[in-house]
Amino acid sequence: MSKSLIIACCLLLSCLGVVAQAKFTISGTIRSKKTGETIIGATVHVAGQSIGTVSNEYGFYSLTLPEGTYTIEFSTVGLQPVQKQIVLTAPMTRDIALDDAAQSLKSVTITANARQRNLSTPQMGMEQLTTKEMKNVPVLLGEKDVLKTIQLLPGIKSAGDGNSGFYVRGGAADQNLILLDEAPVYNASHLFGFFSTFNSDAIKDLTVYKGGMPAQYGGRLSSVLDIKMNDGNNQDYNVSGGIGLISSKVNIEGPLQKDKSSFLVSARRTYVDLFLRLSNDSSIRNNTLYFYDLNAKLNYQLGKRDRLFASGYFGADNLVVGNNFGLKWGNGTGTLRWNHIFSSKMFSNTSLIFSNYDYKINVKSGANDVNIFSQIRDWNLKEELQYYVSQRHNLRIGFNTIYHTMRPGEITSSQLSNFNSSKLQQRYSWENAVYVSDVWKATDKLDLSYGARLTAFSILGAGDFFNIDKDGNILDTLHYKSGEFVKTYINLEPRLAVSYKLTGISSVKASYARNVQNLHLISNSTSSSPTDRWVANTNIIRPEISDQVSLGYYKNIAGNKYELTVETYYKTMQHQIDYRDGADVLNNDAIETQLLFGKGRAYGIEWLMKKKAGRFSGWVSYTLSKTERKIDGINEGKWYNARQDRTHDIAVVGMYQLNEKWSLSASWVYYTGDAVTFPSGKYMINNTVYYYYTERNGYRMPAYHRLDLGATKQLRKRGRYSSELSFSLYNAYGRENAYTITFRQNKDDMNKTEAVRTSLFRFVPSISYNFKF
Amino acid sequence: MKQLLYIVIIISCFCACQKVIDINLNTADKKYVVEGYVTDAVNGVRVSISQTMNIDDENSFEGISGATVKIIADGATEYVLTESSASKGVYTTTGFKGMIGHTYSMYVQVGTDTFRAESTMPHEVYFDSLALQDRVVFGKTRRVPAVYYTDPEGKGNSYHFIEWRNKLKEGTIFVRNDDNTDGRNLSIQLVSFSSDSDDDSKQIKTGDTISIEMQCIDAAVYKYWYSLDAGATGEGGSATPANPVTNIKGGALGYFSAHSVQTRTIIAD
Repeated sequence: MSKSLIIACCLLLSCLGVVAQAKFTISGTIRSKKTGETIIGATVHVAGQSIGTVSNEYGFYSLTLPEGTYTIEFSTVGLQPVQKQIVLTAPMTRDIALDDAAQSLKSVTITANARQRNLSTPQMGMEQLTTKEMKNVPVLLGEKDVLKTIQLLPGIKSAGDGNSGFYVRGGAADQNLILLDEAPVYNASHLFGFFSTFNSDAIKDLTVYKGGMPAQYGGRLSSVLDIKMNDGNNQDYNVSGGIGLISSKVNIEGPLQKDKSSFLVSARRTYVDLFLRLSNDSSIRNNTLYFYDLNAKLNYQLGKRDRLFASGYFGADNLVVGNNFGLKWGNGTGTLRWNHIFSSKMFSNTSLIFSNYDYKINVKSGANDVNIFSQIRDWNLKEELQYYVSQRHNLRIGFNTIYHTMRPGEITSSQLSNFNSSKLQQRYSWENAVYVSDVWKATDKLDLSYGARLTAFSILGAGDFFNIDKDGNILDTLHYKSGEFVKTYINLEPRLAVSYKLTGISSVKASYARNVQNLHLISNSTSSSPTDRWVANTNIIRPEISDQVSLGYYKNIAGNKYELTVETYYKTMQHQIDYRDGADVLNNDAIETQLLFGKGRAYGIEWLMKKKAGRFSGWVSYTLSKTERKIDGINEGKWYNARQDRTHDIAVVGMYQLNEKWSLSASWVYYTGDAVTFPSGKYMINNTVYYYYTERNGYRMPAYHRLDLGATKQLRKRGRYSSELSFSLYNAYGRENAYTITFRQNKDDMNKTEAVRTSLFRFVPSISYNFKF
Repeated sequence: MKQLLYIVIIISCFCACQKVIDINLNTADKKYVVEGYVTDAVNGVRVSISQTMNIDDENSFEGISGATVKIIADGATEYVLTESSASKGVYTTTGFKGMIGHTYSMYVQVGTDTFRAESTMPHEVYFDSLALQDRVVFGKTRRVPAVYYTDPEGKGNSYHFIEWRNKLKEGTIFVRNDDNTDGRNLSIQLVSFSSDSDDDSKQIKTGDTISIEMQCIDAAVYKYWYSLDAGATGEGGSATPANPVTNIKGGALGYFSAHSVQTRTIIAD
């Protein structure tokens, strides 16, 4: 008896001995040697084993391993990998600096241009673009534009010429969460959407989530576009810039204290109006039209464990037409962040974020001088803990609290004018979320990511809210005092993703995600306008909810030279919003009386074949999809195609490094025309012809296709000074793509009705000069 | 927001181009179009009935004969309208004059369809005067009519203006309510499509006779003109096209309006 007890004890002890085999954590920050910029998503890999991790959004990594000797490889796209021999006998900190690859490789770049898709992380529906990819794709007027470039990826559709809005997997343009250094950007377009608000020179990393969003993101139904600004070079001063046809920009960065702190200032301004002034036509000459952007960032290393960041963006558009009309709009964001490393396993980030969007319209005519002002403003506090529990578990826990203030519309007018000064009610709301997620390496082949986000959206007084009947008539008005809770919507958003490695080079993944959206953009127009109105939930407008399941197959081919991705998805959307016929959404306090609610569904399959290495790189993407809405009061309550329903969507992008001096690029897109409403008849009222419509979005615009070409020539280097010339040709074969199709009576024969197609851009060449020293 | 679309096109002025194209449009079953009004003028009643046509058809909108058309005042007095001998599909009667504050119903029976509508003639707001003003429209000085009136205190007034240029009706819809202009002394420029266009021949010239008819309309009729202008003019770019919100029950297009009329005339100098 006692003998067996001793044996048992021994066994148990030996077991404990196994369990208690010492494990230690190696952690640190991965940076670029040349600039000191932290590297996001760098791979940390234990040689000869399938163990590893990636650096987080601040370059921090943490890897827990049993005591022993290891060779660890640190690598990322475009930089030289580094191998470190380590003897792990105690917790250790290793900061890593990766050197530029270009300097060591005399021949033209043959290393991968694109980041390798990680086969084993459960994350799917995600696309990343490197600055190199963003840089080389040809764009309109040579104005590099990340929002335009992501539209060449599968599942992300352009809203058309002259529009930087985009649609992800059947969602609407307002269902994309666009974050710049964590701050939501409410209107990401300049010049009515011809350009996006993001100055690509200031951008470090861009990640798009089309599905299976991690639990730390929430607030929009369709996608997350997470854009991170550069921190600024902490090694050396750098000035770079560009002079283009319509804009110029400059980017200055440098250390405040070498290795410790740095700054970055980046500015851009267009000068279309300077060209307008050259015109003989006074109707063109007397207009003002420009926009500018200013990005600034400071970061400071407080000690080994703490780092502070302050970043800001400010951009505005100004348009003045003659003496009659002025429109200014712009975003401002500010982010203050504090990174703290509690331990080698625990990383914390706290952010205080401010975000503002406003527009101002001025109309003058005769004695009238009227100003209209509208604004949406957020104060936002976020805290996130990343806990690297073990080799197998990586936990994130966080909360987010946002206070929204919306001023939908305020009119101030001169004494003599036609208009009364008036104010639509300000709306206040408080949005809270807590989340937890775990990435679990269950086996060598099976990885899981699961988590949930709990959101509570509270509508606060003071204000009047309304009860309305089904025809949109107000039944009664409810008054609330300042600070009083009108209603709180609570939603749980589960997120789940699984990946299974089939072989060393292929895997399958599946995911489910629920997303909730509490702010809605009410637009009375088919193209985006800076005056579209954001509204929060009310007692009648309920949170939009989407559920998406997706399944994907991933394969790396020919030694990672090629990459194949196939994903399919099915998504349902609840509480979708559309407006009633003849709605006036700008002028109405009880906006609910102008709206209708319904549901949506979207499904599709996306292929992406990417060539990542070699002189020639690029990708082919193809999406086959369907997206529909069903709303009581529209199309007799039957399902109809959403405007952005496009059956086929193809993009081909190629980049070719001809020699050390020249690089060439081309992109070609083709998609099925938008679903639109055309008339099926006509009639006469008051001696004028009007049109009769039978079904919503029952027709198609003509198919859209376009080829863009680009070429970049490196000019001779003089010491530190390097420069290049970029040429581009937008719409190279001059396809007249339909911007609108309208109907009118023929001028010569008023008895005939004709359809008129307006198209915007054909053969738009551009040249720009970029420099760096 | 029509102005915004125009600006977008201006921005891309050197590249935008327009072309007439062929589109294969569906044909739809014919629908009745009823345009009816009662005014406070002598013989101020008219109901015209026509039908929709296919887009490819010539614009010859023939009137529909043989309908039974009645106007009922305050649910009591019934007036039967008869088809005019001069114009097909136009139904009128003599000796009728609408009165402010009274409610009128329209009853139309054509074939197997019956249409009904109701409208109350609102309080009349005095049309002070009409003038011609200079307005710079995209760099060119244009003469545009301006109407003067004082909106009474209290929201709920709506107005519809019709411009006649040398006795020819101008098709632009000018419709206003007092949501933002309640109680104000108003001077409103009526900028028609032709004033807004580049075509110099369409502008107001010295010697032209300009008449403006001001109608004080009810809220439902305001909604009709507003939504007709926003959704059914065939110009894209603004709202999703849709049929206007009508006050006629029974499935016809069109409207029925009881309104007061005042006309002012000016000769361009």
